[in-house]
Amino acid sequence: MTKAYINGIGCISPQNSIDSEWFFDTINPAKGDYFDAIEPSYKEFIAPNLLRRMGRAIKMGVAAGNIAIQQAGIEKVDAIITGTGLGCFEDSERFLLAILNNDEQFLTPTSFIQSTHNTVGSQIALIMKCHDYNFTYVHRGFSFESTIQDALMLFEEGKETILVGGIEEHTPNFVILNRRAHKFQELQSNTPIWKSTTPGIQMSEGTAFFVLNKNKTDKSLASVDGIQTLYKPKTSADILNKLRSFLKLHGLILSDIDVTLMGFSDDVNFDQKLQELLPSIEKESVAACYKHVCGEYHTASAFAMWTAVKLIEKQTLPKVLAISDKAPSKIKHVLIINQYLGINYSFTLLSQC
Amino acid sequence: MDALIEKLKGQIIEQLNLAEVKPEEINPDSPLFGEGLGLDSIDALELIVLLEKHYGIKIQDPKDGKTIFQSLRTMAEYIKSQGKS
Repeated sequence: MTKAYINGIGCISPQNSIDSEWFFDTINPAKGDYFDAIEPSYKEFIAPNLLRRMGRAIKMGVAAGNIAIQQAGIEKVDAIITGTGLGCFEDSERFLLAILNNDEQFLTPTSFIQSTHNTVGSQIALIMKCHDYNFTYVHRGFSFESTIQDALMLFEEGKETILVGGIEEHTPNFVILNRRAHKFQELQSNTPIWKSTTPGIQMSEGTAFFVLNKNKTDKSLASVDGIQTLYKPKTSADILNKLRSFLKLHGLILSDIDVTLMGFSDDVNFDQKLQELLPSIEKESVAACYKHVCGEYHTASAFAMWTAVKLIEKQTLPKVLAISDKAPSKIKHVLIINQYLGINYSFTLLSQC
Repeated sequence: MDALIEKLKGQIIEQLNLAEVKPEEINPDSPLFGEGLGLDSIDALELIVLLEKHYGIKIQDPKDGKTIFQSLRTMAEYIKSQGKS
């Protein structure tokens, strides 16, 4: 399958990733058992008449998309593909609350229009005047991965430049309800995220966008060589076998991978297979993690991909991400092994170009 | 009438999320659409709901909207004429 070259990146997360100079030097801790994204001043990216109707997910997505497009130095794309687990949750909640509070009367159109999952992609398209392919994947923990798979297939069909992104937002009510269901826990200061023995994640939100190009250009930061999803693998051995086959497909073995970013979520119920996999990864590669920095959400793999690009660009693994003292001598290949709720697993291979 | 206009300013700012606009900046005689506040067709729907929710006024004929929503003053006059202020 065709590979994709990443020519621009934009990321809004609980960290200062909006700042292109930031590289895991200062870390914002979780707010107890959840993270909030650090949002920029949106006036720099979005016209005020559009801004007033947008919920947070839309604003985050449009701003991150804008940053990626600016970095790539382009004005047009051939396709816009977004992925989201929950979509524009704030507007969905607002519309549903209005139905309840007003006894199904006096319903206004704005929050309904803005609540649909494809609003982010469509708003970017309207702003860019892009009338081409526009698609939004709502595939739970595979939502972002699906955008990459689709982009790679579109390149085979002749598209040249594609904007892809993952978007997630949470609301105070969402945090309250999940907390009641005991889905969260505070990050344990004495137990690293890859050794968790207790259930609960740090719920989070954020967005990361990428301008992908079919061909390498002088703007290319890294390449996406391949992606594979695994639904409910039975054992960690199963994951390892699939991983070796995936790498073989790309002419690599595990020891060729300079850094492996692993999606430990701090919930022992979901991390067990990755915990079992870790010794094999550490034996042949350098293992690292990212969800203690970005938190857990359906499209956290988009943050992981942004991190992988930065690692390739900077050629160093920040201590805060490292699982052991082992440091990579170079960073040519980065592998992401993401998992969401122990159900959705994915491998994404990125390389220096 | 002035009190009703002031009340409407606050309600419109809230309903249309015009966070950047201060009530004193809204000229009651300026057009609401196109120029002036620069509202659009989605805002028109929001204003129809506003009249129904806050004043119990249901606009039966959509053609009337053009006259009613010409400016803040015409909106206030319409509310008065319906005896709902």
